[in-house]
Amino acid sequence: MLPIKKHLLALGVLGLAISTVLTIPAAAAAEVVKIGLVQTTTGGSAALYGIEQKNAIQLVVDEANASGKLGDLKLELIHYDDGADRNQTVNIFQRLIAQDKVSAILGPTLATSAYAADPLAQKAGIPVVASSNTAAGLTTRLGDYIFRVSPPEDNVTPNVLKTVIGRYGVKRAAQIYGIDDQLTKSAYGVQKKALEDNGIPIVATETFQRGDVDFAAQLTKIKAQNPDLIVIGALAEEAAGIVRQARQLGISQKVVFVGTQSAISTKFFELGGAGAEGVIVGTAWFAELDNPVSKAFIANYASRYKHPPDIYSAYGHDAASLLVEAIRRARSGDSKRIRAELVGIRNYPGVLGPIGFDANRDPTVQPKILVGRNGRFVPFEAK
Amino acid sequence: MNVFLQQTINGVALGATYAVFAVGFTLLFGVLNVLNLAQGSILMVGAFAGLELTLALHWPLLPSFLAAMAIAGGIALLSELLVFGPLARRGANRWMGLVASLALSRLLIAIVQEVFGTQVRRFPPAPWTGHVWQFGAVRVQSLQVVVIVAAVVLMAVLAYVLRRTRVGLAIRTMAFRPSVAQLVGVPVARLRLLTYFLTGALAGAAGVQLGVLYDAVSPFMGENILLKGLSALILGGLGHVPGAAIGGLVLGLTEVYSVAYLQSSLRDAVAFGAIFLVLVCRPSGLFGTATRQRA
Amino acid sequence: MIEWLQSYENVIALVFVNSILGIGVYLMLSVNRFSLATGGLVGMGAYVSTLATLHTGLPFAAAVALGTLAAALVALLLGTPVLRLEGDYFALGTLAFTEVFRVIAFNWDSVTGGALGLDAIPVRTTLPQLAGVLAALVIAVLALRGGRLGRIMEATRLDDMPAQSLGIDVARVRLAVFVFSGAVCGLGGALAAHMNSFIGPNDFGLQRSLDAVAYAVLGGLGHVAGAIAGATVFTVLPEVLRFSAQAREILMALILLLAIVFLPRGMLSVGGLAAPRGRGRAARPATAEASR
Repeated sequence: MLPIKKHLLALGVLGLAISTVLTIPAAAAAEVVKIGLVQTTTGGSAALYGIEQKNAIQLVVDEANASGKLGDLKLELIHYDDGADRNQTVNIFQRLIAQDKVSAILGPTLATSAYAADPLAQKAGIPVVASSNTAAGLTTRLGDYIFRVSPPEDNVTPNVLKTVIGRYGVKRAAQIYGIDDQLTKSAYGVQKKALEDNGIPIVATETFQRGDVDFAAQLTKIKAQNPDLIVIGALAEEAAGIVRQARQLGISQKVVFVGTQSAISTKFFELGGAGAEGVIVGTAWFAELDNPVSKAFIANYASRYKHPPDIYSAYGHDAASLLVEAIRRARSGDSKRIRAELVGIRNYPGVLGPIGFDANRDPTVQPKILVGRNGRFVPFEAK
Repeated sequence: MNVFLQQTINGVALGATYAVFAVGFTLLFGVLNVLNLAQGSILMVGAFAGLELTLALHWPLLPSFLAAMAIAGGIALLSELLVFGPLARRGANRWMGLVASLALSRLLIAIVQEVFGTQVRRFPPAPWTGHVWQFGAVRVQSLQVVVIVAAVVLMAVLAYVLRRTRVGLAIRTMAFRPSVAQLVGVPVARLRLLTYFLTGALAGAAGVQLGVLYDAVSPFMGENILLKGLSALILGGLGHVPGAAIGGLVLGLTEVYSVAYLQSSLRDAVAFGAIFLVLVCRPSGLFGTATRQRA
Repeated sequence: MIEWLQSYENVIALVFVNSILGIGVYLMLSVNRFSLATGGLVGMGAYVSTLATLHTGLPFAAAVALGTLAAALVALLLGTPVLRLEGDYFALGTLAFTEVFRVIAFNWDSVTGGALGLDAIPVRTTLPQLAGVLAALVIAVLALRGGRLGRIMEATRLDDMPAQSLGIDVARVRLAVFVFSGAVCGLGGALAAHMNSFIGPNDFGLQRSLDAVAYAVLGGLGHVAGAIAGATVFTVLPEVLRFSAQAREILMALILLLAIVFLPRGMLSVGGLAAPRGRGRAARPATAEASR
């Protein structure tokens, strides 16, 4: 080779070497994946669920970042509180999508807010994983970017009612539900159908509104009809108020109360007093579940937050875990790829047990029946 | 029949709390021509004060009740000193006062939320609270009795103060014609403060009553009550104190009956429909006179 | 810039809508009547236009027009009995109307969707549309106030008797303004309903009415721009304060209170701008006699 060409070749190789060295740090820099965390932390019953979910999700994300299992990716949670006001939820979603540019959203807390705000995420192609929307038909109605780990009421209630009716020989039932919330309203429909399917006459149907504290009039009417079973469609605070006032009004201990998953909360027993004893609910998790992931979770949660987790913490944990897993598999913060991975998750070891999403993006979990005893929810003795 | 009696008891207890609240509300309006929309939040502050005193300091109910009244009255007094008084002196129109009371209301709710959280809280059960008297199939709870008795006592005391004391006379003079009151040497500024204090105390009392009756205290409990108070005001006639008391009672009963015999979601409709009719047919309310009776 | 607009699109749109509603209240206050009917009238416009869009094939503009007309009609029907009432009673009457409307919407499941309201409403309102409507409204109001009708309105605002002695039919003027204000509310409601794809009865109660009053009063009653200023501050403040989740509500309320106490004539009075004309004696503090 001519001397000049040799020099040029050397320079070329040198240049290549230098530029390769310079780009390596860039490739090794962490890519931040932003996740919107829309959980209510102020504003009535919703906050009871929202705080627990937020806590658990925070726990999972911190663990994920610390463990390095995501390689170069780093997760960043951006939390906004919507105050249980669906107009706020819409504003928040808009901000998360357009300004914060999140790759996915965990939440929102209430089904009512989900109906309002999820369409924005669906339209923008941002996957949403909810951990407390249990209204029937939500995922099918809102679109294929909407997922949830909290089993819908129509997967849980029919079995609960059937078991209770059989166990207690129920002949007459009454219903009381909240008319201004998506969950309680859809729960009412599901409960009604289940009762009818079991051939039980519904002797009284009463309603109330979110935030009500006075149920004396409705309960007096129900009492006059002598039901054996009272089925409640209410969020935690109202449910607690109802069962407490029911006992105060002298509704017999022999009358069975069945509630929805939303009745379960760390505060249910505190607010419900004597009335909370014996209340039956169906849900996918309880503290004594024999599952190593669950046990580890309970220990970690309690040591960090100084109180035991409830089912919403458990749901929050699994929602976050599944999302983290999807991000891990996608190896990026690309929303479309995350969604594709979410759909494909099967039998992931969650707090709720082996969990994944079915064709409707609802969770594949086995609901259990629990009853309130001595200030805790324990498995129901169905014999 | 038993159900009717039971519902009536429920309605009277509820109505008693509305009455106490409405009386304070109408007094402020009648005497100072101020529609203070922060009254609902002051009621709520009273409820929280009562709750905290029983919970944290383990006071029995009666001292907590009185202290809560004083605290609520104090807040109302502060609002006159810091907000309404200055506004009046600076020549603000009365709508500004109304908007100010709205902002004040939000501030109170926000502060309480910040300090106490948003969840509903319960009064600690005392040995006597669970007691129930049974008359046939009708159950009267001790809580209901306490609330009704408290309401009656409060209104008797208020009536005495207004009708039989010099202070009461001064207040009524102010209600009648503020300029006349000034002419005869009534210390208007001080009486304004006193009136605010009284109405705040009444709101606070109603707050504790409600909190105890339904065993639920939350930062948002005042908003609903405000609307009920306004309705009772209209029913009874603006500024008419006994009218407001009766209006409150009627409202409580109507609410309970409409839930019992119609459907709970219509309960507000019945109340407001009735009020609308009253306004269109007899705007001065059931007891007011055409020239706006005061105190 | 475009991105910023996108993420705050909702907020800006809300500012426009709230300004429109504030102007509705301002109009009534200009004839010395404190109306709390805003919530119900806005709701009327919202539900009627939504039902038109959802159930009939009407194009958006026609549905909005229908909503506006419906609200105006209700204002006419409502105004006739209620405007006879004296100031405070009028306010309470309009309050009762708004709440009755809300409760009816709350219960009439088959028509209004009941407590949860209507959703899946097609989103048709755009920012330019809202801006255009607001601009047109402001021009209309300014033209109104500047002309003969404006002077008549001013006369009725200050005191009924002198106006009447001049041969002005005070009652008819008030009714006309009420109907116009109702149309404005209906228009705002129809546009707002097609912004977020859902409406519910709780959007149209006393709170809505009180908020609209706050926009007008806070901004200052001397000029139509006051309602816009008030609406802007009220709507934007919570967003601006979003950074401090904890103290946000407290800050907001505190700022509002301070604004009110230090600017008792409204925000626009800062530059000595637009003090309400002829306020003089009539503007005395909230005593019984002055503002009957």
